Amino acid sequence: MDMFLEKKEFLNQNKKFFLIILLSILMLICFLLPYVQIIINQDNFCVTSLDILMNSKLHVTNAGSEADINFPNVMRISVFLAVLSPLAGVLFILLKKRILAAESFVIGAITPILSLITVSDLKRQIVDLNISSNRVYIGFIWPFFLTLIFGIACAIFSVWLNGGEKLAEAVFFCFASISVGLVFLITLYMIISGLPAIIEVGIFNFLFGFEWDPSCGKYGILYLILASLFGTFGAVIIGVPVGVLTAVFLSEIASKKIGFFVRPIVELLAGIPSVIYGFFGMMIIVPFIRNVFSDFRTFSQKPVVGDSLLAVMLVLAIMVLPTIISTAETAIRAIPKSYKEASLGLGATHIQTIFKVTLPAARSGILSGIVLGVGRAIGETMAVIMVAGNIVNFPELLGSVRLLTTGIAIDMAYSSGLFRQSLFGIGLVLFVFIMIVNISFMKISKRGVQIDATNR
Amino acid sequence: MQQIDKTESDVRKNISLYSKRVRKSDVVLKMLIYFSALLTVGFFILLIAYIIVNGAGYISLDFLLSSAESDGLLPIIINTLYVEFFTLIFAIPIGIGAAIYLTQYVKQGKFVKLIRFSTETLAGIPSILFGLFGYAIFCVLFGLGSSIIAGCLTMIICVLPGIIRTTEEALLTVPNSYKNGALALGAGKFRTIFEIVLPCAVPGILTSVILAVGRIMGESAAFLLTIGTGTKMPKEVFSHIFSSGRTLTLHLYYMSGNGSVPDAMKICFAIATILLILIFVLNVLAKLLAKKFIH
Repeated sequence: MDMFLEKKEFLNQNKKFFLIILLSILMLICFLLPYVQIIINQDNFCVTSLDILMNSKLHVTNAGSEADINFPNVMRISVFLAVLSPLAGVLFILLKKRILAAESFVIGAITPILSLITVSDLKRQIVDLNISSNRVYIGFIWPFFLTLIFGIACAIFSVWLNGGEKLAEAVFFCFASISVGLVFLITLYMIISGLPAIIEVGIFNFLFGFEWDPSCGKYGILYLILASLFGTFGAVIIGVPVGVLTAVFLSEIASKKIGFFVRPIVELLAGIPSVIYGFFGMMIIVPFIRNVFSDFRTFSQKPVVGDSLLAVMLVLAIMVLPTIISTAETAIRAIPKSYKEASLGLGATHIQTIFKVTLPAARSGILSGIVLGVGRAIGETMAVIMVAGNIVNFPELLGSVRLLTTGIAIDMAYSSGLFRQSLFGIGLVLFVFIMIVNISFMKISKRGVQIDATNR
Repeated sequence: MQQIDKTESDVRKNISLYSKRVRKSDVVLKMLIYFSALLTVGFFILLIAYIIVNGAGYISLDFLLSSAESDGLLPIIINTLYVEFFTLIFAIPIGIGAAIYLTQYVKQGKFVKLIRFSTETLAGIPSILFGLFGYAIFCVLFGLGSSIIAGCLTMIICVLPGIIRTTEEALLTVPNSYKNGALALGAGKFRTIFEIVLPCAVPGILTSVILAVGRIMGESAAFLLTIGTGTKMPKEVFSHIFSSGRTLTLHLYYMSGNGSVPDAMKICFAIATILLILIFVLNVLAKLLAKKFIH
């Protein structure tokens, strides 16, 4: 009986094993068949992976003109990897290292993405040959797609050799690591795409230059940075007292009934799209500022039009309110009842207890709410873009300003060359700010947890 | 403010041990607390009332279903549905899978810390940076151009941390005894997860999906850089995802700065009203589900 079972097991394993080998051969075949198809007008240039490996250029003839198109190195590397890794996968299977085998199959399957990246490069080379880009079509989807499918199938089968449980774990592991990969990729890409402009302009000139005038080649973003910082600062100054006091109201003073009505309002405020806040600011806050301050002038003696830093601050203050309220309320509710009872027992009034005991005890939670709000405010784009006026000025309360975020959003559509690169540079600066805020938030909230733990 | 009248009962109260002098600072602070709560609520009512009063009159079936190219709303609504569908279809499995891994397979260790760190980081990155990233990767590098699919791919990154976090909370509330019971009966880990843990957490997972729907509907900065400005009706069901198409929020943004369309403001108010109503409905739904989920 035992013998029989073992034999069955062996056969079962071997079935999967042969399936894997078959699939990896299919994967290779798919990859080696016409890999990139360049269609110019009516002429087809089918390029197989072997061609790409063997030759470094493609000879193109079109309407009498002849030229060579170089294959980008990335493309050749990806072809090389994509042929190598299924073979490595089979080898690993034979060595019974199934997880490694699965990894190499996955690598083999996704390497065509690398060559996807180079398609625009190929297209540019063809356009350089005086062939209009409308007449060029580069097909790559089918081989890419099939390799991907076979590669993933190989990986699944090779992990399955260890049984279904391991397979499930591996799949969930992949899903979980996607977010890690994304953060890594975003960080990498922000740096890669942002640094060239900063280096070309010069770090000092970029960060501390006063003038932002891309048409004259002036790329100083100091005013943008200052506007972002002032706007966020103003939002915090206005939003924090209101938010914290509302949180106090919700957690300490409001009866259950009132809380039942007010809490959903705070949640709804958090869910309202930023465009609606921007629209509201545009229709109500901006005209309000224009009317109230109509007798004032900005430092540069321009009339007050309403689109201003003040409007930005007010809109941002409203937008950070829900964040601050909900975090502060949770923090206040987490304070042990004994604290309050002790204070009340000593004869302090309710309000004294709130301000002398409860709030100081909840300060790390409240602080993390504020930091979260700062992160929201500094990254907000759409609401700000509708009320800021978007002229690059020294940020003054009643003058129109351009912030880091709006700088990116406005110019992206029609910029090119160094101008576009400098926008990615702004993105990098914003990213650094956000990361500082994020990491300090994590530090503060972790410390808060520790303090709470020691308190109990 | 409590006035101290010299009535009989009040005098008696003042004598008692528990009576306290009314401190002026207490009154001021209490007023401040009430004032800020009132400010929050009042602002909310002002916003809702202003938009709905101005917008509700414009909404009609004809208006919603007009497919004219410049100011028709139907193509925009269809684009929004496309974005919702194609984002969620990718984001939900990934998010749930990640949450399952974090709650059921590994609970401690360096890798889990790394995943937690990166989801928190992703949650904190503003959507304009996602838009920038999506533009550089999906539109330019992958050659997708400004298209709905590029917007969807960008949006997946935006909603992923939220889905992971809410689903994780939902999965953690499933009592361990259920799991142990299933395991003791001989079910494998995978089977336990799919037949015991996930069904028990369905309301919580639905809540996370609803929150993601709301987030996608309200998003605009990430789409601004990736999805383009198209307002055309889809010609084909599938190939439409490769063409550009603005969503409701973007349409509101473009219309608000557009003087050439005669009824621009009308359309803005109408879209804002629609968005508010949808957000409200989604919030109520999430609330109801959460209530069901707790009991």
